[in-house]
Amino acid sequence: MKRRDFLRNSTAIMGTMAIFGTAIPQAVLAQETPVTGGTLIWGHSETTQNLDIHQTGTASSSRVLQNVHSSLVTVDADLNVIPDLAESFEVSTDGLTYTFKLRPGVTFHNGAAMTSADVKYSFERCKDPATGAVNFEVFNNVASIDTPDDLTVVITMSSINAPFLSRLAENGAGAIMPVESGPTQGTNPMGAGPFKFVRYEVGTVVELARFDDYWNGPAFLDGVLAREITEPTTRLTGLRTGELHMINDIPLDRVSELQGDASLQVKTWFPLNFDFINMNHTYPPFQDARVRVAFDMIIDKEALMQGALWGQGATSPSASFPTGAAFNKSLVQRPQDIEGAKALLAEAGHPEGSLNIVFKATTNYPYHIETAQILVEWFRMAGVNLTIEQLTWADWLSQCWVDKDYQMTMMNFFTLWESDFLYYSVWNSKGAYNYRAINDPIIDQLTEQARITVDNAARADVYKQVQQQIWDQSHDIILWFRNGTIGAQPSVKGLDSVVHPNGSNLNFHKVWLAA
Amino acid sequence: MTYVLNRLLSVILTLFLITLITFAITNILPGDVAMMIMGTQSNPEALAGLRQSLGLNDPLLVQYGRWVGGMLTGDWGDSLIFKKPIAELLSQKIVASAIIVVMSMTIALALAIPLGVWAAVHRDKWQDTASSSTALLGVSLPDFFWGIVMILVFARWLGWFPSSGFVDPSENFVRALRHAFLPSLALGLGLMAHLTRMTRSTMIGILGQEFIRVARAKGLSERTVIWRYALANAIGPVITIAGLQIGYLFGSIIVMETLFNYTGMGWLTYQALLNRDMPLIQASVFVIAAVVMLTNLVVDLLYVAIDPRIRLD
Amino acid sequence: MKRFLSVKGLIGLILVGSMVLIGIFAPILIPPEAGTAMDMTSRLSPPSWAHPFGTDQLGRDLMVRVLLGTRLSLEIAVTAVMMSILIGLPLGMVSGYFGGITDNVLMRLVDTLLAFPALLLALTISAILGPNLQNTIIAIGVAFTPFLARIVRGEALRVAQMPYVEAARASGTTDMMILWRHILPNILPAVIVQATISIAFAILAEAGLSFLGLGTQPPAASWGLMIQASRDFLDRAPWTALVPGIAVALTVLGLNMFGDVLRDILDPRSK
Repeated sequence: MKRRDFLRNSTAIMGTMAIFGTAIPQAVLAQETPVTGGTLIWGHSETTQNLDIHQTGTASSSRVLQNVHSSLVTVDADLNVIPDLAESFEVSTDGLTYTFKLRPGVTFHNGAAMTSADVKYSFERCKDPATGAVNFEVFNNVASIDTPDDLTVVITMSSINAPFLSRLAENGAGAIMPVESGPTQGTNPMGAGPFKFVRYEVGTVVELARFDDYWNGPAFLDGVLAREITEPTTRLTGLRTGELHMINDIPLDRVSELQGDASLQVKTWFPLNFDFINMNHTYPPFQDARVRVAFDMIIDKEALMQGALWGQGATSPSASFPTGAAFNKSLVQRPQDIEGAKALLAEAGHPEGSLNIVFKATTNYPYHIETAQILVEWFRMAGVNLTIEQLTWADWLSQCWVDKDYQMTMMNFFTLWESDFLYYSVWNSKGAYNYRAINDPIIDQLTEQARITVDNAARADVYKQVQQQIWDQSHDIILWFRNGTIGAQPSVKGLDSVVHPNGSNLNFHKVWLAA
Repeated sequence: MTYVLNRLLSVILTLFLITLITFAITNILPGDVAMMIMGTQSNPEALAGLRQSLGLNDPLLVQYGRWVGGMLTGDWGDSLIFKKPIAELLSQKIVASAIIVVMSMTIALALAIPLGVWAAVHRDKWQDTASSSTALLGVSLPDFFWGIVMILVFARWLGWFPSSGFVDPSENFVRALRHAFLPSLALGLGLMAHLTRMTRSTMIGILGQEFIRVARAKGLSERTVIWRYALANAIGPVITIAGLQIGYLFGSIIVMETLFNYTGMGWLTYQALLNRDMPLIQASVFVIAAVVMLTNLVVDLLYVAIDPRIRLD
Repeated sequence: MKRFLSVKGLIGLILVGSMVLIGIFAPILIPPEAGTAMDMTSRLSPPSWAHPFGTDQLGRDLMVRVLLGTRLSLEIAVTAVMMSILIGLPLGMVSGYFGGITDNVLMRLVDTLLAFPALLLALTISAILGPNLQNTIIAIGVAFTPFLARIVRGEALRVAQMPYVEAARASGTTDMMILWRHILPNILPAVIVQATISIAFAILAEAGLSFLGLGTQPPAASWGLMIQASRDFLDRAPWTALVPGIAVALTVLGLNMFGDVLRDILDPRSK
């Protein structure tokens, strides 16, 4: 009972602050001795697709593969890059040479020992456009990968790439797979992670089994059975009837109800992702900053968050990781001011009733549909006619992301905690994620400047200016950070270690089942 | 014999047309699979590379030829999104759907035949009204609405059946049936109405025939007359009608399997459509159309075997 | 039989009639904004005096929405069926009347299309065209066409062999004239019966498409969309599914009953 109470209290705190690696859970855990054995049955919210970690861009597949693969480097709770399969790493003073010392005695699931050749193979496979790796551009500036001995890898850059290390810690770019295992990764993923891949039945289940020779000590669980249950209420029913040990993504409207249920554990963490409303900068009305600011003024972010997320999140004027040094604390979201917005729109040449905007939202995120429906009401009050078009994920990607064929939409991003990754890719005019076609010379200049600013504090200041500029110009309307949620039976222990610091991936290495 | 031969020839032609239509449809679908694979990491260069390696850049005729050729030689290719051989996926999922199709049909017949017989025997009485009203109610709600009600009542409130998922029958046959039951029941209720009507009208026709009067005159009990004599003659046409409902069923399983997270053909087809997994869409749509058409063929041939008059048409 | 039929027909007529009346008058009497007006303080609230049918997840009044949705659902279904008649009727008539190669080619195509379940066809068309009201109608209309063409063709074939058609042909009446004067009026009853029943199916199809996210778009109050949205709140707020579900049931029930009676009156062969 005590532990449950604690969990509940701690989850309450989690609503307002990041909680990774807080000291207290460790102390509480220490009172219970982990036992080995048992298979955890996890109700996974999404369908696993491509199992090749290089080719898979979806959070769903990464969430599972995180347990099969280990990376050269990873991040700690404060999002500092730390060694993982590398024992240590060193960056030359000119920032062009990275030397990794590999951890000796690491074995892959096929029994082979990991050497520098595997690292070279993995990175070159990822870099090769023919692989179709989603992260291939991480290695864009890599001039050569040398392997002076079995446990040393030297990577030489053609030009400075400040975020290289952090990018290696993310999204599988730094995952190390055995030489020549590439062709079978899609059907039989294999790495050096704590769990071995056993089988995948499409749309039904992924089975993982403990890898006894994992370098950091074997996991407690015999295995993990990830049952894919995409219907939120069905997943919840499975947890309630005891069919499942654990589920991720509790339906947002049920979180508070479940937190009051003493027979279940609920873990929420903050943030899982940020959401923002996008306006296409090639669409003439949105080229006028007054229109974008007016649109920002139409929206009551807190009410929207309560409506769409049922309160499971916190509004934010900035997309920076809330506990990160670069977060600009001086920004405040514009309060709702419908009359002011009307006046501003009229001033910009759009009198009441003259703007007809199509808002494309993807059914992949049901709360985006709710958000859009609430927006329609406010926009109507402001004399703007908003029409919703629901898109499947495939259509959203092709219409909004690639073809930029939209007027307004919204999206969320999971793991862009690294400032360069975040601001350069999303807001620089050359950024890979700039699907709004934002072209702001000030942002371009600042994000380039940050790349060559070595001092961390100075760099953070540059990013604060970027945030100020995004807010001033209302390039996008940044809404909130959303909570992540896990529900579990009381028998599932070590839940605090499950969530990867990036907020999206789940790792079962330290999880165990009480008898 | 010529009838059968003609019919077979037309089947081959229809199959060919099905491949053409399927291929045409999948090629005008917007969006593309390379984008789906890369998700938000998509960018022009990587997409181009991936498209190349997936063979999406080849001329349409080449792609069509490769597809049909592959199917004829048993090489159905790989699903782009699931990275598995399509033949393997389909064989798993067809089993799953077959369970639902057979089960829902059994449920529908088990309900429709007694109801229909009851209505025919008590023609124009309150029993007739009750029977046809029950049947109509079944068909008047979208079957996914029945599905929702089933989940609510039998899974959530009573806890008798699992609310979702699929279990491989080779793994655990009883559990497999339990998982298939609720979606089958929901589908069965939708099917029932038409079958009840058919049973009723067929029975009415048969009950008016000479041999029934003779049987009655011989002093056989009413029960024997109805269930042994009349129904035995009515069952053929009713099952024929049931066979023709297969097409309708394959449409409904798309929604039903999605609702119950029951991973069969309908689920697979919907996933393929959502993900623009062209080879998988082609294969699964083709298989569904082919199954529907072949079922109709079998039903037709059976009908000819039962009722020679058809050939004169 | 007669009496029962008339009672059944009466019920059907009343159901269909009241739905049509609601469809016509609800949007006139209720301001359209009422259907999307949200009250975040009473989300998923059960039926009460303030909200006789309860509210949905965004605090919208379900009674208002289901009343406004009547027009939308009927409009979609009727337009889609009219579209399938517009394409299917001439196709079927030409095919059945002329026979020969035309008939062979057309019916081969229709048979092939019939092998694709209508919902699968509608789903695919909807995915191709993109989701909005107009495309939903097109998707359903096209998906229903082969079926209608098949029925019309059968009827036309039957009528074409009638003595009076033979006579007209012998007296030198043009084919166009025969189709217009003799074939069309004689197959119309069967078409009307089929249309009534098709409208019922179209309502269900619209619901199915919306359920999969490819039909009507929010925040419109279509019945299918309302059922779809209710799915996540089912166990704590069953009324969100029951209200639109019952609306669909009553309408389809009415159409089916009405259709049965129409069949008995109009279609001579079913007697």
